[in-house]
Amino acid sequence: MPVETGLEAGTAAKSDKGSSSSVAPILEARGLAMRFDAPEGRISLFESLDLSIDAGDSLAILGTSGSGKSTLLGLLAGLDLPSAGTVVLDRHDLTKLDEDERAVLRSGRVGFVFQAFHLLPGLTALENVMLPAELVVDRHARQRARDALARVGLADRLAHYPAQLSGGEQQRVALARAFITQPGILFADEPTGNLDHRTGAQIIDLLFELNRDHGTTLVLVTHDQAVAERCHHVRYLRDGRLFEAAA
Amino acid sequence: MLALRLLYRDWRGGELRLLALAVVVAVAAVTGVAWLADRVAAGTEARAADLLAADRAVEYPQPIPDEWQQRAQAAGLNTALTATFPTVVLAGDQNRLVSAKAVDDGYPLRGELRIQPDIGAAENRAEGIPEPGTAWLESRLLGLLGLGVGDTLEIGAMTLEVAAVLSFEPDRGQGFGSLAPRLMFNHADLEATELLGPGSRVRHKLLLAGELATAIRFTDALAAEHGNAVEIESPGEQGRGAAEVIDQAKRFLGLAALLTVIVAGVAVLLTVRHYAERQITGVAVMRAMGATRRQVMGLFIGKLLWLGLFAGAAGAALGYALHVAMLALIAELLGTELPPAGWQPLLTGWLTAGAALLGFALPTLSRLRDAPPMRVLRQDLGSHLLRAGAPLLVAAAVIFGLMALQAGDLLVTLSVFGAVVSTLAVLTAVAAGVVYGARAWSRRSGQARLLWLTGFTRRPLTAVIQIVAVGVGLMSLFLLAVVRNDLLSAWQAEIPPDAPNQFLINIQSDEVDGVRQMLTDAGIETRFYPMVRARMTELNGAPVSAEDYDSPQARRLARREFNLSWTGTLQSDNDIVAGDWWGDADSPPPQLSVETEFAEEIGVDLGDRLTFGAGGRSVTAEVTSLREVRWESFNVNFFVLASPGTLDQLPRTWLTSFHLPVVDSHVLNDVIRSYPSVTPIDVTSVLRIVRTIIDQGSSVVELMALLTLAAGVLVLLAALQITGEERRFESALLRALGARGSRIRAMARLEFWLVGAIAGGLAGLAATGAGVVIAEVLFNLDYPFRPVTLVIGALVGLVTVWLAGALGARRYYRASPMRLLREG
Ligand SMILES: Nc1ncnc2c1ncn2[C@@H]1O[C@H](COP(=O)(O)OP(=O)(O)O)[C@@H](O)[C@H]1O
Ligand SMILES: [Mg+2]
Repeated sequence: MPVETGLEAGTAAKSDKGSSSSVAPILEARGLAMRFDAPEGRISLFESLDLSIDAGDSLAILGTSGSGKSTLLGLLAGLDLPSAGTVVLDRHDLTKLDEDERAVLRSGRVGFVFQAFHLLPGLTALENVMLPAELVVDRHARQRARDALARVGLADRLAHYPAQLSGGEQQRVALARAFITQPGILFADEPTGNLDHRTGAQIIDLLFELNRDHGTTLVLVTHDQAVAERCHHVRYLRDGRLFEAAA
Repeated sequence: MLALRLLYRDWRGGELRLLALAVVVAVAAVTGVAWLADRVAAGTEARAADLLAADRAVEYPQPIPDEWQQRAQAAGLNTALTATFPTVVLAGDQNRLVSAKAVDDGYPLRGELRIQPDIGAAENRAEGIPEPGTAWLESRLLGLLGLGVGDTLEIGAMTLEVAAVLSFEPDRGQGFGSLAPRLMFNHADLEATELLGPGSRVRHKLLLAGELATAIRFTDALAAEHGNAVEIESPGEQGRGAAEVIDQAKRFLGLAALLTVIVAGVAVLLTVRHYAERQITGVAVMRAMGATRRQVMGLFIGKLLWLGLFAGAAGAALGYALHVAMLALIAELLGTELPPAGWQPLLTGWLTAGAALLGFALPTLSRLRDAPPMRVLRQDLGSHLLRAGAPLLVAAAVIFGLMALQAGDLLVTLSVFGAVVSTLAVLTAVAAGVVYGARAWSRRSGQARLLWLTGFTRRPLTAVIQIVAVGVGLMSLFLLAVVRNDLLSAWQAEIPPDAPNQFLINIQSDEVDGVRQMLTDAGIETRFYPMVRARMTELNGAPVSAEDYDSPQARRLARREFNLSWTGTLQSDNDIVAGDWWGDADSPPPQLSVETEFAEEIGVDLGDRLTFGAGGRSVTAEVTSLREVRWESFNVNFFVLASPGTLDQLPRTWLTSFHLPVVDSHVLNDVIRSYPSVTPIDVTSVLRIVRTIIDQGSSVVELMALLTLAAGVLVLLAALQITGEERRFESALLRALGARGSRIRAMARLEFWLVGAIAGGLAGLAATGAGVVIAEVLFNLDYPFRPVTLVIGALVGLVTVWLAGALGARRYYRASPMRLLREG
């Protein structure tokens, strides 16, 4: 039976397994609403979502295709602004910042892993991993990138271009890229969606390993129940609401 | 540095090659012209001081009085005398019209003479001038006369021995006078030639050099004493005519180069659009990872600057090679060594590259800074990003700015810009009409049967762009290659076949009967015209001075002596347009008839009283009629005609003209032998030389047109690149559906044929149309509209686009359907 959480996730987390005990949540959303102007009129994806996650925790968001998971993730990461509500990331109210200020906030602090990998085709594996570090002007970017690639098992693929790598290898490069700046929080949108089952499982293992090593907060969108199970918290997005349990 | 690295990747990935090539072509066009103009102008300037062989020169219609020379020397100036005149020299049974020049000790006061001791021997600086009794001849003249050093020739009543080969003379000058080969001899021998009779065409000069202020004081004093009779020349004036021509040529070539820049700019616009589309996701990823808009902009500006640096350098290198080629083409016209190339055009090249990239590429790329970071989660976001007209407006503004810079005149800029825009508009309208018409027609007549038309009609917009771009390139080429030839032959067709091609001038009054007799004996019946060389000294009683006129041509007319004649009967190629002709009456009162354009130039109208002076005498008469003259009849005609008797006070010579079917040197030789001061002028060779000048000049312009065509082909390739993905997909789909490779290639070929044929046909049509307008408006010629240009154009266009297209699109049609589908 679905139970609607009237409470915010952070409070609910107390009943979840193995919660860490940080003081302030690193990410907190209140009254999030997202509406789009479509040819058929205004569409409301969700009207009032509340969510909170403490530093070091991991949260999985599940839902059917088209339920709005990616949109929600984008709002939480500050890639877009909600129609209503607030998102506070690392004590900054994202809705009060303009696009560039949000970018500055993201740089070095937020990591991403995407379903479509999104490596820059013109750059080698090494250069792709260096990119976020160069944006925050890190003198040791190259060495760090090398280490990061070694960490994901691609020490011998530094000079390869994305097109020369398999899907799983590309996603591992993306993982190395996500972790190179040691971000406080990592957003992943269906990171295994484009991979076969076995490769996907390897990526997830690597993701949780890195998460554990760096103590990164993890917000993960997936529709794989098994993946979700490995997170501290799980939320289901359905009909514009967040639920704690599957339907 | 990141920008440089990314640029290198883009380059390796083939993303930016067309863009870079377009910039290279644009820069090559601009720097090539800049270098050419620079070096030709610098060459002229460097010679300006030497062009006069003096700091100042005084020209006088009569021999320079000894007293002047003594005064000048007393004032501390160096002096030298020269006397230049056309005459015919004889050597054995050979004779040639030469431009003879007598010089005295000290010549040249500025610059140097160079001679060779014998034909083919090394050239060295001459110490002094030809000894009395000897002459120095250009090697061309030696060849024509079949002479060598040590041989003798006759000039007038004098026999001279050839002592050296004249290879360089500083004040050789330009103009028709200099077309005849030079013979230089000692001023002491001038008298003995007996060629100084009244009415002879000797230009006497006193050259002066020394302290400039002294020289100016001396010439000012002479001018004050003798008024219009003396003409003072300074070095600037000598170069001015050439500088003016060079300036105009530079501006014209500059505008031609700009046309290339514009077409290349279109290629840049297209390629950068395609490039930017493929960058949106990457930029969104960077923005998601925290890159600010400034960082994104910085990255792309950095890329463009690096690209500009490299492409600018490559383009400048190409431009340098181009200017070397163009110099080679006009070598005959230049005739002298040029100073080494400067580096400024390199700067111009980089500025052009910068302007092209910042003006045509940056506006599109800068839109990328707004790539929505949300695109990393939703691929469809931000696809509309590049759909904006602003880059087009910026491009138009940049083009206008470049034109204004090049033309240096707002009115010229506006009219050229207007002409370019309206030509483009017409081309676009017609191309769109054809393409959309074909589309509608193919739809109506059923898709399946006309499957082959789909490629052409499914992408109507790119088809139109391709047609217009290639069309502009071809049009400029046709205009120069085809229409120029037609114009030349139209001009030559206007000259009647029996138009006089030989002129005999300088015939003294007592020689007329003898010359007439010799010509009649040879079967030539001809008319003799009296000719009076005089200066216009007064207009309605007020003295005339060159300074009263604004136009350089009018100033020249006011300063120079010109030719007057008289007659009782009006020639058939003359029409009275105002006033009355004096008719055949036996002794009409003194009056004048003036050619209309000339009258306008010097500001003379019916009823005005003109005074002409020559040899210390003057004549005044009223203008009673204005005439229109059909000059293209090639008959002898005069700006100013007087009624018989009016000019009796003034010295005169006679001239005649006739048609000699084969240049029968026999008659001419006989005349010249008997009457050494008579000067023959063979117009056939003048026509040939004019033709050479036009040919060489226009081959330079043709090179520029080829560059424009290259830019047009780049646009074609850019459009192919844009449609590449679509072609790949279409081809894969058709193959999957069972079409054979040959069939798919045939479809593509047909598309290229259509684009090429339409572009070429339109270009041919536009070029011949422009030819008609140019002929009518500028040259007053009847020029036939040539539909055949359309056919030639269509063929040339078809082949060009076919070759370029086959090369550019090859890879889209080669891969297997499986691979194509996997690549999506
Ligand atoms: N910018 C947008 N404009 C219009 N509709 C949107 C936009 N973004 C998302 N949507 C709609 O919101 C719904 C949820 O999309 P998304 O968040 O991508 O779902 P999920 O990731 O759960 O599959 C979809 O129906 C999508 O069409
Ligand atoms: Mg999604």
